[in-house]
Amino acid sequence: MLNELASLINKNIPSAKAVASIPEDTKLDGSVTVETSSITEVAKFLRSNTEMPFNVLEVISGVDYLEFIEVNYMFAHFDVNNMRRVTLKVKVTDRVNGSVDTICRIYPAANWQERECFDMFGIKFNHHPDHRRILCPDDWEGFPLRKDYIAAKVYNTMELYPENKMNMADRDFIVRQDMIKKAQGEAATKA
Amino acid sequence: MQDGVVLTTVDDFLNWGRKNSLWPMTFGLACCAIEMMATGAAKYDLERFGCGAFMATPRRSDLMIVAGTVTMKMATRLQTLYEQMAEPKYVISMGSCANKGGPYWQHGYHVLKGVDEVVPVDVYVPGCPPRPEALIEGVMTLQKKIANERLLRDKWVKHA
Repeated sequence: MLNELASLINKNIPSAKAVASIPEDTKLDGSVTVETSSITEVAKFLRSNTEMPFNVLEVISGVDYLEFIEVNYMFAHFDVNNMRRVTLKVKVTDRVNGSVDTICRIYPAANWQERECFDMFGIKFNHHPDHRRILCPDDWEGFPLRKDYIAAKVYNTMELYPENKMNMADRDFIVRQDMIKKAQGEAATKA
Repeated sequence: MQDGVVLTTVDDFLNWGRKNSLWPMTFGLACCAIEMMATGAAKYDLERFGCGAFMATPRRSDLMIVAGTVTMKMATRLQTLYEQMAEPKYVISMGSCANKGGPYWQHGYHVLKGVDEVVPVDVYVPGCPPRPEALIEGVMTLQKKIANERLLRDKWVKHA
């Protein structure tokens, strides 16, 4: 089904360059990877075509692989005789200004999902009608689900690790603090 | 005439009234709130102790049961709501998250490590989440605390 879908997308939108990846283990789900710039057209096509339509956007999530950040769209078709589901993936390589076009106008459910993806991974969604953080406060620094995220020590005069409450001799805590210091050192040398 | 007379101190009378009509504020933040609801419902019936009237506004309540994880975003709002409550006011910190950050103490980048960072806490109820009996125990501990207060001397005419 994934191969058919990929060829169908390629036939109608040649710039999408859809590639189906099907894992050897049949228990795992496969996915279709498309070009980042073509996501709006692909979403429009998935919603409106007659051969293999998808009428529901289930979730938008992100995965940080350090070399690139991947945005996963899970589409489904709810029909009694014809249930199907697909994961569509796009890659964002630019960690600072990486952006994807919004699909809010095609699937309205994407509005908050894209805001959450922005909140957690810092991916900008172009032409989004309400492009704000959704869970973290507006003045929050950094994007928490990124692999290289370092939590701020103080937010709004509230300490993250108050010294009188932390067991500073705890091994796990020391390891964690060392990791943070190392990551901060690396970030400083890069800058 | 003698049968119709009851003698008490003003303090005891005030405390008796206050401790048996604690009005908690609805402040359920996470799964502890489910246990708090169970405590208020028919089976455990917090109303037996005079504190089942959950108010949806801080202005009418004198007990804040912080039930659940306090995130840093919520902490500022919690502080505001606490300041809006009328004196005398009390806080019960319910569950591990509100006590000390709970399972988020180490990796929770957004969780306040205990609600006592922002408001003074009277009673801590441990558990994850605490059973309704534990919350009732916490409420009764607070009632004992209130019964021993000397409000007139200590709070209201302290500087007289």
